[in-house]
Amino acid sequence: MHERVEVMRDLLDKQLVDADDTKMGRVDGIVLEIDGDKQPRIDHLELGFIVLARRLGPRVEKWFEAIRKRWSVRKSARQIVPWSKVLDVTAHEIKIDVKAMDTPAFDWERWMRDRVIDKIPGSGDDD
Amino acid sequence: MKKALTLALGILTSVGGFFDVGNIATCTQAGARFRFQLIWSMVLATILAIFLIEMSGRFAAVTKKALPDTIREHFGFTFWLVPFIVLTLIHILVLAAEIGGICFALHLVTGLPLQAFALPVAVLVWLFLWRATFSTIENSTSALGLITLCFVVATIWHHPPVHDVLRGALPSLPQDHASNYWFIAVSIIGAVIAPFMFYFYSSGAVEDEWDPSYIPVNRAVSVIGMGFGSIISIAAIIVAGIVLAPRGIQVDDYHQAALMLTSAFPYWGYVLFAVSMGIACLGAACEVALSMSYTFAQTFGWNWGENLNPAEDARFSLVYTASLLLGAMFTLVGIDPLKLTLITMALSAAALPFVAIPMLLLMNDRHLLRDAANGFISNLAAAVIVVITIVLAIVSIPLAFIGGS
Amino acid sequence: MASVHVELINGRRVRDANGKVVGRIGEIIARRRGHDYFVEEYHLGPAAFLEKMGVSTARMIGWRRGGDPLRVPWQQMDLADPDHPKLCCTLDELKKMQ
Repeated sequence: MHERVEVMRDLLDKQLVDADDTKMGRVDGIVLEIDGDKQPRIDHLELGFIVLARRLGPRVEKWFEAIRKRWSVRKSARQIVPWSKVLDVTAHEIKIDVKAMDTPAFDWERWMRDRVIDKIPGSGDDD
Repeated sequence: MKKALTLALGILTSVGGFFDVGNIATCTQAGARFRFQLIWSMVLATILAIFLIEMSGRFAAVTKKALPDTIREHFGFTFWLVPFIVLTLIHILVLAAEIGGICFALHLVTGLPLQAFALPVAVLVWLFLWRATFSTIENSTSALGLITLCFVVATIWHHPPVHDVLRGALPSLPQDHASNYWFIAVSIIGAVIAPFMFYFYSSGAVEDEWDPSYIPVNRAVSVIGMGFGSIISIAAIIVAGIVLAPRGIQVDDYHQAALMLTSAFPYWGYVLFAVSMGIACLGAACEVALSMSYTFAQTFGWNWGENLNPAEDARFSLVYTASLLLGAMFTLVGIDPLKLTLITMALSAAALPFVAIPMLLLMNDRHLLRDAANGFISNLAAAVIVVITIVLAIVSIPLAFIGGS
Repeated sequence: MASVHVELINGRRVRDANGKVVGRIGEIIARRRGHDYFVEEYHLGPAAFLEKMGVSTARMIGWRRGGDPLRVPWQQMDLADPDHPKLCCTLDELKKMQ
């Protein structure tokens, strides 16, 4: 990891990959911890549509939250990645120490796999 | 050998992205109403398309990333949001038009009503995307797409007056029906320079694992691929000009367009037209649906790729599934496919700046592209493209009202 | 312990201790200490967007960047109200720190 990082350019909206290089979303939000007068520290990354919605304005966030409550299969809309889980920051992606399949980001993949795909013929193998 | 096969990507993008329902609609109308006068519009559109496709491919070869991927990452979500929404809407409309084209082809051959085919066609395309890998889709639609050469054969058979054809390749002012003339001219450009083409092409280059050594091949593919599609489209204008114009057939309906091959091929004319249209639209439908999936997946950072097991990229597959269903709805409820196509082409032309401007900003970024960044000629072309796309954006919708029919 | 969302302060207008508008937050520079990154300074520019365009593109369309961005050391930025970031000093004092 580099000594110096430009947070907006190098971290925000960056592609996240897991330990196996599986893509698992983008950095939708970054949270700084400011402890009193101490130097602010990058605490964690955030993923999720709700985080994106908030970037567009508080009204969009409320509207989105209402929709999410009605339709989502997810347990939580926002995924938090503590900075301690970050393995590497490269020019193209941020690698984190998780397994994509276990994360909320892959809720839909799991749902599709369990409810839909396993029931459709021809989905188990690749050409 | 693999590089030679990448010609297949170029030809697919050409058959699917270039000669699709939009081109069929605009070129047959152009030929039927103005004979060879609008060939210049196709020539101009081809030149612009070659530059843009070359840039898309070069970008993917060097950065190993596709365009939508980089646009959000580089410019941020808020900047990308409006283009993303606009382009998604256009994608859906174009997909609906392509599905309408396939349905019409089937209707022409069987005589059954268009609406009957809407859902079966959507399922057929879906099945193709679900089961096939990217190279299978690439290769099969390119091979089948060669049937569209029948338009070129028809052109040769008709022995068009070469002098008139060449004169049409130069811009000219219309004698009458000026607003319709300009509407079709703009629609031709909108039909050729379709946003989904560039996103599909750059994503496809990543799927095919291009690297900087592909840059020369990419240049060849851009010229040959787009040139191929262009020749077929110009052939369609010429044949329509020779067969339909003298009879006063205006092509207000795809049935009228289907007549155009019956002089050169008395027995097979209808069938050839139907098969050409069906296959071209099938290739395009695959491209547009995939382009939507690529754009969504890359915007939100999901796993993506035709070569992945569907369980690994469920959301990617979900997008093309949903968009195919949505696209089929238009034909199902009975929306006239030709009118849908023409309106979509005008809207597509209006949305071009959203595609062209971010792309051109990226092509100049030396951090991303190092020595492969745009040189003077590419930037000159880029500047011209931006100006033209902005002009098109301003005039296309008013023209649709005044000059459309 | 306060939390500040980087994506929400991006592009926000910053005022100095006198209430004068100084610029918009365009970039945040952080330095590594051990595994963690700590904010070193904030860059204020005419618009966050211009920074993203990259110098080469801006030059292509003839845009002369108005000099380097204004650098605000972390101690001088008050983010108690993240919607309205404030400098702890005045603009003149900040300019002396460049």
